[in-house]
Amino acid sequence: MKKRRLLATILSAAMLATSLVGCGGTSGGESGGGSTGGSSGGSEASGGGSEGVQEISWMFWDDLNATEDLISLGYKDTIERFNKDYEGKYHVTPITTNLEEYYNKLNALVAAGETPDVFIVSPGPQLTDYVAPGYAAPLDEYLNKDGWKDTFTSDAVFTQQTYDGKIYAVPLNTAAACCFYNKEMFEAAGASVPTNWDEMIAACDKLQAAGYTPVTISAGTAWCLSMVAGYLCEAEGVDLAKLADGSASWEDGKLESACNKLLKFSEYFQRTAAGDTNDVATANFYNGEAAMLIQGSWAIGQINGQSPDFEEKCGVFQFPGVDRIIAKSDSLCMSSTTKCPEGSAAFIKYFTDDTAQKYTAEKGGKIPVTKVQYDASAAPKQLGDVMNIFSNAKGTFGFYNESLPTTEAGAHFDDTMVAVFLKDMTPADAAKDMEEYYKANCRK
Amino acid sequence: MDKLLRNKKAIAFFMLPAFILFTLVLFIPIVQSVYYSFCDYKGITAPVFIGLDNYKNLLSDKTFGIALKNSFFFLIFSCVSQLIIGLFYAALLTNIQKGRNAFKNIIYLPCVLSSAALGLLWMFIFSPKLGISQLLEKWGVENPPLWLMDTKGTIILPMWVIAFVSLWQYVGQSMMLYMAQISGISKSLFEASYIDGCTKAMTFRHITLPLIRPMVATAMSLNAIGSLKFFDLIFNMTEGGPNHKTEVLATHLYQQGFKYFKYGYASAIGVVLLILCLLVTLFINKLVKTEQYEM
Repeated sequence: MKKRRLLATILSAAMLATSLVGCGGTSGGESGGGSTGGSSGGSEASGGGSEGVQEISWMFWDDLNATEDLISLGYKDTIERFNKDYEGKYHVTPITTNLEEYYNKLNALVAAGETPDVFIVSPGPQLTDYVAPGYAAPLDEYLNKDGWKDTFTSDAVFTQQTYDGKIYAVPLNTAAACCFYNKEMFEAAGASVPTNWDEMIAACDKLQAAGYTPVTISAGTAWCLSMVAGYLCEAEGVDLAKLADGSASWEDGKLESACNKLLKFSEYFQRTAAGDTNDVATANFYNGEAAMLIQGSWAIGQINGQSPDFEEKCGVFQFPGVDRIIAKSDSLCMSSTTKCPEGSAAFIKYFTDDTAQKYTAEKGGKIPVTKVQYDASAAPKQLGDVMNIFSNAKGTFGFYNESLPTTEAGAHFDDTMVAVFLKDMTPADAAKDMEEYYKANCRK
Repeated sequence: MDKLLRNKKAIAFFMLPAFILFTLVLFIPIVQSVYYSFCDYKGITAPVFIGLDNYKNLLSDKTFGIALKNSFFFLIFSCVSQLIIGLFYAALLTNIQKGRNAFKNIIYLPCVLSSAALGLLWMFIFSPKLGISQLLEKWGVENPPLWLMDTKGTIILPMWVIAFVSLWQYVGQSMMLYMAQISGISKSLFEASYIDGCTKAMTFRHITLPLIRPMVATAMSLNAIGSLKFFDLIFNMTEGGPNHKTEVLATHLYQQGFKYFKYGYASAIGVVLLILCLLVTLFINKLVKTEQYEM
């Protein structure tokens, strides 16, 4: 009995000690290498810190410690540079998550009043979600200081980030949605780079006949499939502005025709397309399991980072049958409630300085947004192809899920396209569904 | 003790902490959620009262329909399967002497493990490029089933897979409840029945089953509420996909609340969930009629 009591006392003391240790926090921040999740939100963190160091929280959609994506690794370097240069004054702590969960977690922090000081966001309705309620701060004051704004290629790079004449986010790079292809597989199958839709189908037929999976795509990450649908809609002449104001209808036959093409194209997708995530679909490509990947040029960093030898085999061509290309930029917002606006602005500026922008082109394979001179011979081969596609294109347009009136309308379009792919909906039903959704939610 | 129980001030004093905690953590948020369910509320600006609009929108929300169907599937599947298998394990383990504790611990172990970790583990097991599918391919099965991706049928394959994983995880809990109740039955009742010539099966049918009925009602209610609130395994195994086909009420609520900032609409889903939990519990208590016996 006495032994039991003694044991119980020791265990209780141990539990108490453990809980007390759990209550105590460490005051030291993590190094710029980045933490993965769990960091406190910005409003709490900023302005705090010991010895006068101001904490800045930065939220991002990739795990900086685990990633092999070259663009993400470049961001990690930028944080390390900033923390070193501003040692004793500012310190950046990253809050990271995977892409699929990013907006859910950011929104949870925003709703809890803990908006990160700086956070990455896609332009379009997603940025509007943070600008309209006043979560994002205008950045003109900082951009106009010390000629920062003049370093950008043109004022046009801020078009998607401007609301009522004020700039609410700073673009970091530009990427275009392109078709990546495996040159060796194309050669072995006797397929040539397609320039129109019929040639695309012919190339897929040849690849399939040669025993290859022609296309790897993710319908599990719905925007990937929706990106292809966006191109097919563009080819059919869908006008999003007219659809939004009600002067055009989704049921005019264009979406239906695009969906029919999508269904035909889906015959060449990998078997697991319905559930594969974006990362899995991309891995199928650089692991040589499929001949084509339709993806944004940000995938260059991922492909070359994961499989450096693949760069030689990888070619890029414009999605056939369209004159314009889908383009987007990663953009950084500053929280309107940050207690460290000067530090946050200085931190954002680091992403657009010459070192970061040269890295963007030469290592990451994305198009810089500033006038930086970079060594084209050092850049990934695929970037040259993307630059050519950009210069030959007659214009750009946004991802459909980021170009519709609201985030939810974009998500509805994504889901509808996946439903067509899964044959849960006929193309005619999809058009009817989109029209009904627009009438109920998007038109006044 | 009697003196203490007659002292109303003392009773109030001891009840106060629990009452305050219950009010702050549970009651006020529930009332708030019910109010927000009648509002257009995005969490940032003040809620705007819109009456029953959120509830009307639920009726035309296709994903809500799928989520409701899937939640009911889980409810029925887990209530039936955990009742049968949990009871089977409990009856079996109370009748064996050797290895009882070892088997009990093995069956109960998944209950105490993190659902998030288990969800990821099973996701890998059912991944087309790992686990079972790879084994099947090695054994010559061409195009093995897409365990978590198939979309055909009223109840799609991924739902059956997740329901199986959920059964594997939680059956130990039902088993423990039934075992506790069975071990509370007086041995003299069993001995008397054996003297009267009953077989083990007859004893189980006529003595064990009637005497554990109150626990059947409790275990079924717990299973039903747990199934309706089901979130973690689905979120980790399929995230509600492909294309929302494995969405349940809790994951749909999460998506609406945290992805689209539609807190009012998410609250309406939460209220529906709460009402369903209450109705199902009432139904189970009505269905499983219990009588009190001297044991």
